[in-house]
Amino acid sequence: MNWPQLIITVITIGSILGVVTLALNLQYARGGMINFGIVAYFAAGAYAYAIATQPAPQGLDQYSFGFDWPWWAGFVAAGFAALVFAVVTGWPTLRLRGEYLALTTFAFAEVFHSFLINERRIGNGTVGLSNLERPVSDWGPIEEKYVFAAAAALLLLVTLIAFRRLLNSPYGRALDAIRDDEIAAAAVAKPVADMRRQVFLISAVPVGFAGALYAMFTTLAQPSLFTAEVTFVVWIALVLGGERPIYGVVLGTLGLVFFEEVVRAWPFETVRSAQIAASVEHVVTGLLFIAVLRLRPFDRISEQLKARA
Amino acid sequence: MLFLQFLVTGIVTGCFLILATIGFSLTRRVEGFLNIAHAELLGVGAFATWWFNASRGWHIIAAAAIAVVITALVGLGIARAIYDPIRVRGPAVLLITSVGVAFVIGGVIDALIGTGIRTLDIGLATSYEPFGIRITNYQLLVVALAALVSVSLALFLNRTRTGLAIRAMAVNPELAASRGIDVRSTSRATWLLSSGLAGLAGVMLAVIATLTTDLPFAQILVILAVAILAGLGSLYTVIASGLIIGVAMDVSVYWIPAGYRPLVAFAVVIIVLLFRPEGLAGTRAA
Repeated sequence: MNWPQLIITVITIGSILGVVTLALNLQYARGGMINFGIVAYFAAGAYAYAIATQPAPQGLDQYSFGFDWPWWAGFVAAGFAALVFAVVTGWPTLRLRGEYLALTTFAFAEVFHSFLINERRIGNGTVGLSNLERPVSDWGPIEEKYVFAAAAALLLLVTLIAFRRLLNSPYGRALDAIRDDEIAAAAVAKPVADMRRQVFLISAVPVGFAGALYAMFTTLAQPSLFTAEVTFVVWIALVLGGERPIYGVVLGTLGLVFFEEVVRAWPFETVRSAQIAASVEHVVTGLLFIAVLRLRPFDRISEQLKARA
Repeated sequence: MLFLQFLVTGIVTGCFLILATIGFSLTRRVEGFLNIAHAELLGVGAFATWWFNASRGWHIIAAAAIAVVITALVGLGIARAIYDPIRVRGPAVLLITSVGVAFVIGGVIDALIGTGIRTLDIGLATSYEPFGIRITNYQLLVVALAALVSVSLALFLNRTRTGLAIRAMAVNPELAASRGIDVRSTSRATWLLSSGLAGLAGVMLAVIATLTTDLPFAQILVILAVAILAGLGSLYTVIASGLIIGVAMDVSVYWIPAGYRPLVAFAVVIIVLLFRPEGLAGTRAA
């Protein structure tokens, strides 16, 4: 097994997904919103980047728009697209609570996914958009994969710092108040519904950026990359890392991605054994999920640390 | 005429959806959470039928019967081993856990069955064409079963002791317990019933559809659509919304490409939720 390559992949993919997990953490642990359609915001970012930087369609291309903008414009467009998508989906759904919200966001993500597949004018349907633009192709002596790993880690770090600052501000404390007791918060004139909507919108933007970075890294925007499975993986990572400590979320994502990449990179002798391994990966992921939710090991550790301090 | 054909196909789809959603909705009402793994239980039913029927050479009815029993027991086992211990932590944790359970069941089915298309060892469908509308005997079977299940479930929930106990638990578990209802055995009955219904829906899936290992989980989307539309309310709203979604999906093919069918289902749901945030039933009453 090629360990250095594996670790680089884990850092890159793990950081990109880590941004998504952070956003989810903000929505769930702070805003009390269960978003089961987070992959759609990720996909919106990736597709926005692809469409903005693609050259105009030609030959067999079925997509209608390609603006051929530089990469940074595409990156900004990705954040903007995720924001717009959050506005559109947040408007009808945020009046719903708990599991109803979970179901409706899930529904929105599926609708979006089916739209990407069926509406070939957006991005070639199931074929997707390929050969996406990467910012710079010549990095001199440094290999491109290191640059991507660094960029992904940087995006994660920036998101982490931004969210931390937000949560440690009076605004963040108001959010905590709303989560802990909505009626009490409303009684001291905190705009509960407005703030919840703001959190929903704020957290969507970095997810869009992460989507753009993912599109650059894979040079591909394809519906099959953005299935509900991404949502579940991110949720598992969130559960793994525990809801509250914001660093735990990042560690949870990195750990889960590491596990998946190891299974994927394992040299298998036959197709059948690789296939079984893929199923086993599902089983183990599921079991991990169940066990962590049941035993809450990380929550206990942090409680013990708190008790000692 | 073509429109009528789509309408009839839509009713068949709706009947399948009723079979698939009734169990899900029952769990939601009595156990109080959304069991995402319900869709994978359809897979357990479908592939158990396939295994007994196609690999062991059993008659389809025997294979289907044993598959339903197996699915019911698997459902009960999962409930006891996994859901019961974390019940106190609330519906959100149970919902997320059920996603993990769905992963596990799906992975096990994948590992045992493998990829590719599976077909049951039953004859090809015979089609009838009354008034120029084509319908197969298997489609009629789905409609008949849905009707039979709905009626007998309604009778069961309204007339029998266990059925009334299930409804009492759905409305208020503490009050039900304090009035002397055996909560454990009622919960067991619910799990056996809802998982058995999932197994039956799985058998129907194996009969009418081209069976692959990712097919059962794909059903969760439409099951959720029906369940949200019904507002997770009574048996009757589940029947109504199953038919509404089934007909809406298939009739939409008359105007727009068939690939948009799931999208239509959720479009209906989103429109309904805009006007009635609690779904068709309006209230959470049983």
